[in-house]
Amino acid sequence: MNSLRWTRQGRHAVAASAVVAVLALAACGGGSSAGGTTGATGQATSGGTVYFAEGAQAAPNYIFPFAALQYFSTTNLNQFQMLMYRPLYWFGKGATPDLNLPLSLANAPKYSDGGKTITVTMKPYKWSNGETVTAQDVVFWMNMMKVEKLNWAGYAAGTIPDDLASVTASGNTVTFTLNTNANSNWYTYNELSQITPMPMAWDISAAGQKSGSEACGTASFQDVTVTSTSSTVTPVSAAAKSCAAVYTYLTGQAKKLSSYATSPLWAVVDGPWKLTHFDTSGNVTMVPNPKYSGPVKPKLAKFVELPFTSDSAEFNALAAGKVDVGYVPPQDISSNATTTGTCGIKPGANNPRLANYNIVAGSTWQINYFPENFNSTGNGGNAGKIFDQLYFRQAFQMLVNQPVYIQHIFKGYGVPTYGPVPVCPQNSFASSELSLGNPYAYNPTKAKALLKANGWTVKPGGTDTCNDASKCGVPAGTPLDLDLQYVSGSVSEDQLMQAEKSSWAQAGIHVNMTTGTFDTVLGNAVPCGSSSSNCSWQMANWGGGWIFAPDYYPSGEDLFQTGAGSNSGSYSDKTMDSLIDATTKGNSSLSQYEVYGAKQLPVIWQPIGLTATEINKKLAGVTPLNPLTNINPETWYFTK
Amino acid sequence: MTGYLIRRVGQAIVVVFGVVLLTFILSRIIPGGAARAALGPKATPLQIHTFNVANHYNVSIYQQFWIYCWDIVRHFYLGYSYKYNQSVVSLIEGRIPKTLVLVGLSTLFALIVAIPLGVLQVVRRNTPVDYILTGASFVGYAMPAFLLGELLILWFAIDLHWFQFEAPQSTSVIGILSDPAGLVLPIFSLAALTIAAFSRYMRSSMMEALTEDYIRTARAKGASPTRVLFRHALRNALIPIITLLGLTLPAIVGGAIITETVFNYPGMGLLTTNAATQNDVPLLIGTTFIAAIATVVGNLIADVLYAVVDPRVRYA
Repeated sequence: MNSLRWTRQGRHAVAASAVVAVLALAACGGGSSAGGTTGATGQATSGGTVYFAEGAQAAPNYIFPFAALQYFSTTNLNQFQMLMYRPLYWFGKGATPDLNLPLSLANAPKYSDGGKTITVTMKPYKWSNGETVTAQDVVFWMNMMKVEKLNWAGYAAGTIPDDLASVTASGNTVTFTLNTNANSNWYTYNELSQITPMPMAWDISAAGQKSGSEACGTASFQDVTVTSTSSTVTPVSAAAKSCAAVYTYLTGQAKKLSSYATSPLWAVVDGPWKLTHFDTSGNVTMVPNPKYSGPVKPKLAKFVELPFTSDSAEFNALAAGKVDVGYVPPQDISSNATTTGTCGIKPGANNPRLANYNIVAGSTWQINYFPENFNSTGNGGNAGKIFDQLYFRQAFQMLVNQPVYIQHIFKGYGVPTYGPVPVCPQNSFASSELSLGNPYAYNPTKAKALLKANGWTVKPGGTDTCNDASKCGVPAGTPLDLDLQYVSGSVSEDQLMQAEKSSWAQAGIHVNMTTGTFDTVLGNAVPCGSSSSNCSWQMANWGGGWIFAPDYYPSGEDLFQTGAGSNSGSYSDKTMDSLIDATTKGNSSLSQYEVYGAKQLPVIWQPIGLTATEINKKLAGVTPLNPLTNINPETWYFTK
Repeated sequence: MTGYLIRRVGQAIVVVFGVVLLTFILSRIIPGGAARAALGPKATPLQIHTFNVANHYNVSIYQQFWIYCWDIVRHFYLGYSYKYNQSVVSLIEGRIPKTLVLVGLSTLFALIVAIPLGVLQVVRRNTPVDYILTGASFVGYAMPAFLLGELLILWFAIDLHWFQFEAPQSTSVIGILSDPAGLVLPIFSLAALTIAAFSRYMRSSMMEALTEDYIRTARAKGASPTRVLFRHALRNALIPIITLLGLTLPAIVGGAIITETVFNYPGMGLLTTNAATQNDVPLLIGTTFIAAIATVVGNLIADVLYAVVDPRVRYA
């Protein structure tokens, strides 16, 4: 990675296979699988220890669910915290990204008053210390969010908690009252998804204090008052000050990694697992929480996560039979998978050294793309203007041969991206129009014709030049010579970029490629104005696009709305803005926004490389793989 | 000698300070800044501002460096790594012992093998034994470390089950040393290159020593070939080896990135590499600081040992 990381504002999958591996290692019972044999048959047994491979150099390192941006990662949340501390709502049902009410702490949220009032009824869950998971535990989280929103990874100005007029707890019911209407899907999937109830045992500011000693957990949302400027939040009321003190204490405790398994603080869990061992290398051991109230109780005796320094070290562990659920690095896939339809992946024969494993593939809830900088001053000030031309973006996209790249570079373990909403796994959000196929399928003839029709002299293998400024949109004589920086350290990304460079060259689009580390590429690909001193970057590919988590509803307000923080290329389109607003504030579905985004090409869509998961043949319940990277080892069991 | 040592220590402090200062300045010109590297490029300006204020990135670079140096002097605090959620000192404290065990043992093993091999090659020079050992040295020297490591794992761990496929996973030195079977393959993999290099050094050093006048004198006085070889030639031939050992101290502390990667053994090599590739600025400066110290100390030890071993060498 690498480090493995996504944030509410920037859910960029780390290019390294570690993250892709992590994304593939998710499980939930029920639903359809994207492909592959689905696990062991035989009589179910109780007990046993499952060894789970963490992504290479992607060990968990933060236990407190109220995490700042630097700790907000798949490894920390989906494969560590959420096994112990359940979020209010669980997402991922089978192989779909849908809301999973059976695994949620609350019943379905009820929207009323035009979508401004949301009523959430808690289920009778218990914390491991015997206390009930109450509506007030939800308010505890909201109070913390009000005071420490600048330290909350998921915070964006104007969204939760800014959009709340009030949050009240009464019995086992929480009532959220919004300042303005919100799309119910959007609010459930993107806002309520951020809430993790916290136990009163955490409402302390020093060791040894009694549960609920500070007022943060017990105060009402209204009693927590702060003053905010554009860059600060200052607690005013006593309750707010206690929230600040509690936050300081809990984050301080969260920095003591060696105490995670022994601290009485972190031992209060409501999830199916509790931590018994944790070390700074990333070795994690969990055992079942006997007080877990959820519908599926763990059958295993122990769940162990193992850290690895590299993909090859993890593969060696698989080959030695040390790991029960792992991943096979792309270079060790011995036989291609075959694609059936858009999303179906039928794995090929397994690597001969992994005869004791079943190989499985599953889509991840993400899109892959790279942005073009619409304000770029590169190419003599013309790069941004070139990207502004829809015909150019169309021609550029039509030279990206996703099916071929999936088959030959990803060895069949991949799915395409057609637009801003994932088409795979099959889901209720994707437009039926795009489910029929790519609106810009590979067609070099059409791409060349489009460039010619718009005033370019096309020189296959050379560099096109504009011969008619009125059609090109740029001055006559401008060469079609562009720069693209992509992430280094990934063989598949290297192959993909070189293949695309060759493809673009056949239409005379000359792309100069450079590489950089993941952080360097991302650091360069920031929104900038054409008048700023450093806006020369043109295209940047960090290799992973965008993962929709914890904002599971793929609306585009973070990505493609004018001025959005993650709108790297500064794409701006009034129609797009209003379509996005309709999906977040109105009651529109995503369909119109999705189709418009697919056809307008705010970015260049790329295929998604998936990692093949290896599952011990004697282990069942792991599939279908969850596309949101969640794992549910409580559903896993050995067979005999 | 005392004066020499004092001067060298003074020079070492200046060198280390210069290295840290240069690294500090370079780290401040990383595209995007430390905040973006820690938070991710999609951090909002507000989150970046909050991070910068909390970590003093909002003050001038002079003030930042002063704060950094003052923290080192007061608490030996080298900063905090948000990538690992640990202080730089605790990260280095956790990794250095592991690295010292692996690289130290492999260097020791290499010496134990390389010195006799070098002597044997001299005694049997220009014979098939010499040619075979020379060829083996070249193969060992040219063999990529990752290839050798993977082959060893494949053959001896996965196929034959003679050894473990990964290095000991304990986080303590005692735990690592109590699993000697797990150390065999990584030590051998790492030592192969060093054996090849040291045996070649030893061979040429011995050959040079055997041509010296004192060797001819010893023979003329009736010394046996064994006495000539081990009492006179070897001791003098070891001097360059001792110097080399001192110069390998930075490598010993710096770790062996490839061996660590292949054998699942997170040590200083991986820590330093990750710090650089992930723009983990505090960790990068911290590991550079340690590497600089190891380099100057290693050079100093080499020079001092040289004077100790060779009485002809005296420092003013």
